[in-house]
Amino acid sequence: MFDRSLRLYLPTALFLAVAPANAQQLSDRDLIQTLGQARSTAPIVDVGLLAQELIANVGKGVATLPNWSQLATLPQLAVEINFANDSDAILPESYRTIGLIADAMHNPTLRHFKFLIVGHASATGKAEHNLELSERRANAIMVALTTTFAVPPSQVLALGVGQELPLDKANPKAAINRRVQLINLGVPR
Amino acid sequence: MTKRIGILATTLVLSLVIMTGLAGAQTISFADAAALLARDCGPDIEKYCKGLNLGNNAIRNCLEGHQSNVSPTCTATASAVATSIERRLAAQASVMKICSGHAKTLCKGVVGEANILRCLVRTERLDGAKCNQAITDSGWR
Repeated sequence: MFDRSLRLYLPTALFLAVAPANAQQLSDRDLIQTLGQARSTAPIVDVGLLAQELIANVGKGVATLPNWSQLATLPQLAVEINFANDSDAILPESYRTIGLIADAMHNPTLRHFKFLIVGHASATGKAEHNLELSERRANAIMVALTTTFAVPPSQVLALGVGQELPLDKANPKAAINRRVQLINLGVPR
Repeated sequence: MTKRIGILATTLVLSLVIMTGLAGAQTISFADAAALLARDCGPDIEKYCKGLNLGNNAIRNCLEGHQSNVSPTCTATASAVATSIERRLAAQASVMKICSGHAKTLCKGVVGEANILRCLVRTERLDGAKCNQAITDSGWR
């Protein structure tokens, strides 16, 4: 089941060698520093192609697909967002994290970058349902950012990837796989 | 009756505290604003706004729609939080313009908003009251 928690995992692999961070301990400084490490050689990621690859591979995983594998090379980091069970309603306990992301996205260091929010599920329940719910949850985060906190809609995209990109591949049902990635796609070109 | 006066007095005092704390001289970060909303309105949101989202003003509208049931603290906080968010957004949108004169003279040759702001933070003593207030309100000091 998707359950109530969706970790906002901004993959730690490259820039922040810690376990998915507890949002309560994160500061906007952490977010700005980690997400701001964009390189001019960063690959151009086409979100339309990501969606195409995903739809053609539900239940089969996307980690090794050409466009999805590129995402791992971009600046990103991890926090946790909690949702009501089987719903896209963000729980009050995670409001601060949403505000934190808004602080970072408005900051002059980051506000010329475009960001991708990717929602993930663990592999409990049906793959199609997980995909749909993760999509709605990623969207709820984007809408909260662009309305309540007035992040320019042109600065953020959202995508749900369901259970297709687990963090713990050996244990697809593990809670750690429920997360959201926040990825810096670079300067819009 | 006494209880009601007690509640009224508490509301008034709380409102004053929140007003001076939030809508007064300074704005607070979006993270702190959201955390305050969760702290003071969390139980009311769970009770009256289950399944609704933070975006599109859904929570704000729901709390206002249930104003007679929602705790006075939550009502005061929700309003103060909205004001603070608006003020911070306004300051962030206008700070470069308000400080443009000082930036030209004090930060000659500095390129990029982030760098100009960093420079202006260093020249605080010479920035003038308006520019300084805008930098503070934007949260970028």
